Amino acid sequence: MSVLRPLDQLPSLNTAAVLLVGAEDALLQQLAESMIKEDCPSELKVHLANSLPLPSSGNRPRIDLIVFVINLHSKYSLQNVEKSLHHVDATFFLGKVVFLTTGAGREHHCSVHLSTVERLARTYRSPLLFCDLEKEAFRAAMVQRLVRLLLVCAGHVPGVSALNLLSLLCSSDSPTPEDL
Amino acid sequence: METQSEELAAAEAAPADSGEEAGSRPEDCVGLLLRLMSQTKQQLLEYKSMVDANEDKTLEPEEIMQEKQIEAKIEGLENEIEEVKIDFEMKKLALDRMQLSTAFKNYLEKTDIKTSILVGNMKQILKLNKLIMKFQQESWDLEEKLLEVKKKRLELKQASETKFSEIQTEKNKKKNDLDRMEESDTIKTIQQNLQVEIQITTVIQHVFQNLILGSKVNWAENSSLKETVLQLEKNFTMN
Repeated sequence: MSVLRPLDQLPSLNTAAVLLVGAEDALLQQLAESMIKEDCPSELKVHLANSLPLPSSGNRPRIDLIVFVINLHSKYSLQNVEKSLHHVDATFFLGKVVFLTTGAGREHHCSVHLSTVERLARTYRSPLLFCDLEKEAFRAAMVQRLVRLLLVCAGHVPGVSALNLLSLLCSSDSPTPEDL
Repeated sequence: METQSEELAAAEAAPADSGEEAGSRPEDCVGLLLRLMSQTKQQLLEYKSMVDANEDKTLEPEEIMQEKQIEAKIEGLENEIEEVKIDFEMKKLALDRMQLSTAFKNYLEKTDIKTSILVGNMKQILKLNKLIMKFQQESWDLEEKLLEVKKKRLELKQASETKFSEIQTEKNKKKNDLDRMEESDTIKTIQQNLQVEIQITTVIQHVFQNLILGSKVNWAENSSLKETVLQLEKNFTMN
């Protein structure tokens, strides 16, 4: 299958699967390990990929949340993510996609402008999260957020749906100077 | 595409011990089952809504919409979502309030009204509310008075401004009239006549002077003659 669709399989009981897509393996690995260590009543499955489309090896559970990891220090990671976005079905963007940006702290090393990423997130109507994934404390906090997001997207939280959460997360959009 | 390394880090962080001790702790088991039930309910809801959404999709033929239109449509839909959420929250609030009020009513019926602290609090609240309303009314009245004074002041200022402008116009008119009058012909003729009269009078003066001097009369002794001579010295000029 070349396009990822949400809800294309039946969910496995008490399980939630997240797909981390990013160009840099080390970051993904760290993030994955922190997520697994997180204490959570449901089972977590973390899949890592450098880019989409995923090879059509079967036996993958349904993906509940896709996290695109963009490193502001490298343009390649942005291009990678942009290319991978084509292989995601439109219905995924109803709250099951999150853009995670790292490296915003060190201005000198940033080769990707912040507004580019912001525009990307706004075009795809998905929340944009910032985190310095190298620091342990920030990573732990971000992982907690991601796990909570994952539980909501997988339907494990009664009364809150992914779309509901999306409108909460993205509601603080202010119009850019370009739009004005 | 090219070599993608999909690492299936399928790490199953099993929930703490609920797997092993499920048999020994029935409460945990029940808890797990309840959680699973709510999960499946929520997931079923999601699938149902997806199915409904796909059924409603009738705009396939108009796929080529402008990007702006799509964006506008998306924003409209997002606003709809917000409105539905707000609606839901309001209804929940209303329901909660109704429940609270019935519970409160039941409580009041059961307890003794005189000694209940809750009722005492309510009375205090009522008293404070009355005070608040009274003070608000007072401050409102004072503000009204202030507003009226300000209005009056403004009116006075405007009246004074109009009066001042009227004075200015009158002054200007007068000055214009004066300037105009100086140029008019009547003034000129009057001035000419005046000149002529002055010349005549001067001539007459000189004639009388010469008459009296020529007659070699001692005019200094006669007081009336002295007055006349001195008067003749007055020169008339154009003012």
